[in-house]
Amino acid sequence: MAEQNATETVVISARDVDFFYGEFHALKGVSMDMLEHEVTAMIGPSGCGKSTFLKLLNRMNDFVPGARLAGDILIRGEPVYGPDSDPVDIRRKVGMVFQRPNPFPKSIYDNICYGPRLVGVRAKQELDALVEKALRAAALWDEVKDLLGKSAMDLSGGQQQRVCIARALALEPDILLMDEPTSALDPIATAKVEEWIKTSGLTIVIVTHNMQQAARISDRTAFFYMGSLVEFGKTRDLFTRPRETQTENYITGRFG
Amino acid sequence: MLAARRGFEPRRRRRREFTALLFIRLTGAFTAGVMALVVGFIAFNGAGAISVPFLTEYPRDAMTAGGILPAIEGTLILALGALLTAVPLGFGAAVYLAEYARPGPLVSVIRLGVLNLSGVPSVVFGLFGLALFVKTFGFGRSILAGSLTLGLLILPTVVAASEEALRQTPQSFREAALALGASRWQAIRQVVLPAALPGMLTGAILALGRAAGETAPIVFTASCAYTLASPGSVFQEVMALSTHILNLATNGTRIEETLPQQFGTALVLLALVLGLSLCAIIVRAKLRKGRRW
Repeated sequence: MAEQNATETVVISARDVDFFYGEFHALKGVSMDMLEHEVTAMIGPSGCGKSTFLKLLNRMNDFVPGARLAGDILIRGEPVYGPDSDPVDIRRKVGMVFQRPNPFPKSIYDNICYGPRLVGVRAKQELDALVEKALRAAALWDEVKDLLGKSAMDLSGGQQQRVCIARALALEPDILLMDEPTSALDPIATAKVEEWIKTSGLTIVIVTHNMQQAARISDRTAFFYMGSLVEFGKTRDLFTRPRETQTENYITGRFG
Repeated sequence: MLAARRGFEPRRRRRREFTALLFIRLTGAFTAGVMALVVGFIAFNGAGAISVPFLTEYPRDAMTAGGILPAIEGTLILALGALLTAVPLGFGAAVYLAEYARPGPLVSVIRLGVLNLSGVPSVVFGLFGLALFVKTFGFGRSILAGSLTLGLLILPTVVAASEEALRQTPQSFREAALALGASRWQAIRQVVLPAALPGMLTGAILALGRAAGETAPIVFTASCAYTLASPGSVFQEVMALSTHILNLATNGTRIEETLPQQFGTALVLLALVLGLSLCAIIVRAKLRKGRRW
């Protein structure tokens, strides 16, 4: 949590975003701003559109057949879906961590190097340095520094997820998107990942099923319901003084 | 209480279970038995012909003596040629179907084509190869024409096995690569293909076995009755194990006398095909180790 040094710079801005999967209206007029160095959590019941919204931010919905988008999404003022915007370029700046750890069936080292190699980093020394930096940032260095040649598939779930975080961080992204990153992890691994999120200082947008998690780690929280953004505000306010009845019902466990 | 119904009576249930299991076991035993009978028959009759000279010498005395070296060579060359034809085409088509193609008329036509191709009798492939490669393209009866014909014959097998292997590669690998800024082709080449390769190779090796055993396609396009030397170019004819058996058994003037050679050749061919299948099984088992998805 970086509330004290929040700079109020808008990094991601969504304006009147509507999204359709074929006939299904998945997002309805969503507008929200995400601020630099803050952790923005998105909560809501399954199918509320929070993951769909997250994936729009780095164009991971591009390959979904029959998908259609209206409205604008800007990252640092640049349109994500403009005529000149390049999805590959956007994904290099906006990292993503998925629900299930999805390391490649390669060594830990090669997993982390995947992104840097894509952008043309070849020198061994430079790659070594990037790997160490990324693993340290993901709080995994001490655990795996002697196992870098080992397959990432052989690690525990929590370690795998932190490899995935490190892999995303190796590209030195401006923003990190996380889609329920701890839902497949045990409590200890979850704690480690949460600790990392709170202290990373990155601009993070995280989708979570777990309201307590949102309360623990985020600066701001957005509550989605049936494709609409119901309420968005400071996490403390949203959980203690929700403005909307729906929000209150959800966070008090009356549905969801 | 439903549990008191006749259908739940334990004795009756157990008897049914026993009958079903017996039937399933019998069918399994019968299948294995037929397989054992064929292999045993060939092995029993052919084993006597097998010797080092049989595997390393050229035929002599109107095929009644000497070995089948040129036929072994020819079969291996043709099978390899078929593989070289079918693998690039088949892998490419499979990547298109599994990774790029969106459901639509084009994909349906391709799928239908692949499916029908695998149902075409091999003799038709032979005639097609004769018309196209031997005559129209002017390759003559040659390794080239035979390899291309066999390649087309096994193409559907290679496509189907490769597509299946690609589809079994977890979607999360593709997502991970794309999210790290890989283009679709980079994701496929660097992550998806390496993961799917064991399955694709297994399919290719099994197809190789099929190509090695085929007769009709190469009768018209590649094989000759007798050669005096190993082929020097892809435009030459070769002997092959399958067609050698055919020739000995149907065309020779001394059919009865060459019986041991016929069985011996059949045994070599069988061993080759089973060996290739075994290779496929080993490759698959080896490469599957350490993969958990």
